[in-house]
Amino acid sequence: MEMQESMMGRGREAIDMIVDPESFQENTVGAQSFDDPEFGPGAVVGTATLDGKTTTIIASDGNAFNEKFPVVYAGIIGMEEGYKMAQAVYASIAADAEKPLEEKRALVLIVDTPGNGPGKVEEIFGMNKATAAYQLALAEARLKGHAIIAMVIGRAISGAFLCHGLQADSIVSLDANYGTMIHVMPLTSVSRIIKKPLEVLEEISKDNAVFAAGPRFFYSLGGVGLIVDHVDGMRPAIIDRVAEVQKAKAEGKQDTLGPWGRGALGAERGGRVERPKVMALMNEEFAAVAGQYAPAR
Amino acid sequence: MALHTLELTLEPAAAAGPVKAPTHIGVTGSSDLEVLIQPEALDGKVAVKLVTPVTGFDPLWERVLRKFIDETSLSDTRIEINDNNATPAVVLLRLHQAFTAANAA
Amino acid sequence: MSNWQNLQPRSFLEASARDRALGLVDEGSFTELAGPFDRVTSPHLELLGDAVAFDDGIVTGIGRIGKTPVFVISQEGKFIGGSVGEIGGAKMVNTIKLAIEFHDDLVAKHPDLTDEEKPVVVISFETGGVRLHEANAGLLAHAEVMDQLQKARGKVPVIAVIGSKVGGFGGMGFVAAATDAIIMSEFGRLGLTGPEVIEQEMGKEEFDASDRALVYRTTGGRHKYIMGDANFLVQDSIEAFRKQVVELAPLPVSDFEAMRRIGSPETVEKQLRLVALAAEMQPQDAVDVWAKAGNENAAGLLDVPFAEFMSTVKRLAV
Repeated sequence: MEMQESMMGRGREAIDMIVDPESFQENTVGAQSFDDPEFGPGAVVGTATLDGKTTTIIASDGNAFNEKFPVVYAGIIGMEEGYKMAQAVYASIAADAEKPLEEKRALVLIVDTPGNGPGKVEEIFGMNKATAAYQLALAEARLKGHAIIAMVIGRAISGAFLCHGLQADSIVSLDANYGTMIHVMPLTSVSRIIKKPLEVLEEISKDNAVFAAGPRFFYSLGGVGLIVDHVDGMRPAIIDRVAEVQKAKAEGKQDTLGPWGRGALGAERGGRVERPKVMALMNEEFAAVAGQYAPAR
Repeated sequence: MALHTLELTLEPAAAAGPVKAPTHIGVTGSSDLEVLIQPEALDGKVAVKLVTPVTGFDPLWERVLRKFIDETSLSDTRIEINDNNATPAVVLLRLHQAFTAANAA
Repeated sequence: MSNWQNLQPRSFLEASARDRALGLVDEGSFTELAGPFDRVTSPHLELLGDAVAFDDGIVTGIGRIGKTPVFVISQEGKFIGGSVGEIGGAKMVNTIKLAIEFHDDLVAKHPDLTDEEKPVVVISFETGGVRLHEANAGLLAHAEVMDQLQKARGKVPVIAVIGSKVGGFGGMGFVAAATDAIIMSEFGRLGLTGPEVIEQEMGKEEFDASDRALVYRTTGGRHKYIMGDANFLVQDSIEAFRKQVVELAPLPVSDFEAMRRIGSPETVEKQLRLVALAAEMQPQDAVDVWAKAGNENAAGLLDVPFAEFMSTVKRLAV
């Protein structure tokens, strides 16, 4: 696998590589326009066509700096960014509310974000709400039939990946030859916090997917659906995935998609085998007592 | 680095019978442990399974468990413990709590 | 007195996850699912040589409050900080899923099902989020919980109760924010970034993580109540939390929708007015915001007795 120039911090370039040439219109999604250039500059939202079809694009701008909230830079999702992204999703839902399933626009999330705003003002006002608001909006759009594809091009780190990526129907990632980072925390920090020698963790992480960092391990956990090893592969992969996701939704197979679908994928690929076992056990135990909790009639 | 498992079968000097009901007490917190205790026909013996990150103290565990069984004359009982570096005093305290709770139930 | 009766006056802050689960629902009504006797422990912790728990640090099950089936999820902070791994995460996800399926079954079977006969979910948070020992699986479980919370919308109300030592932080801070109604005690804490990480990011002069009062001013129950992030503030006992849950449990789901902070374009608009206020004020301390909300004795608000706080506090309106 040949090392390639990293796409980190290059979310805007990635948009141009993916969508139809010259089609991206920033700051407009359906009836909503984002006119204030100082509002949530770390979030890039807009509309493009992808293979001729109207598509909402949501990305992070790694070079933006939010002057009102100075912990927001380098692709961090701050409060304004989180709500701006949520607004772009709700505007997509509203724009296609009356349309049949197959005509609901896809959303493409271009993922390169190191975290959520970690500041004092953020905690006072509730950063957790902003990122949760965006996740709920994405889940709503997904459940209402929009195809949502996440394309990991750089950093997909912990809570920021939860917020921007893990609510998608399907996740595509550039391979590690692009320096793609998918993890909760670097191993050095994990070592310090859980008090295990770094060498030991490095050894275990060579083949333990629940623990290790990188797109290949997330693939085996079902967290990443597909890996592409060249930037030229992003556009065709996303077009294919949109079609596949739309087909699955048309067939009523929503459960094969999104976070729940990734659970099944994780079991199939051998990375998360405990999850289905404990769920099956609970289902069985609940079935035995459910009658006691049903209303008397 | 895997967890250490210790399995023991102990016989009380005088057998007073099993606990009444299967019981769980405690939390595997730091310097603490949790206990599952339940009646089971074991020819008058007590079977213990202990899981702990600590190695090298098997004889000490055996002494502590024997003390508990002598104090309670417990027999025909299965005990399972998840430990996280509890001291012998805490181990005895939790075992007695489990015993009391299992007989009160 | 029964164990349940003994539990009622006990401190919620000090209570174990199982005692909270038992005490929040009606006496004797709780059935634990995947409980300690199932012995479902984490193989990932075992691999690392770390202590395991028979319930993986989370109590899940079903109980009843009056006529309402109550699905309970209760996190145990004493076990690795209440952190969420593969098994604990799956238990949480599946409890909400079971509640939704039970709701759908009951509605299909009983066209006359009343609001108080419809199930609710109660989550007692005590966690910093992802368990680093099995981080990737924990992270993926968080996304599944968010998915289930959205699937529960309009069907099964989800109530967060926060008043335990660890609070609700990290990815579980998102999850708590995404529930319908939040009940806190003044000792509860809710947020995203823990104090140590803020200190690391901003410097000790800006945020001293060892300053307990500062931490409570920023993420504690009284503050979250003023901000509207907690819908209800109660005293630190299991019965006080239970009383609030009992009041909420029979309400129609539309009433819960009205309690939400986020989850619709309208609530996002409202939150953005708060964010604009944050940008304009650039508060040095939460006390600045309490004063802005119209509290004359803002600096003393953390110290006045609970009853006085409740009767005099002004909550922020935007």
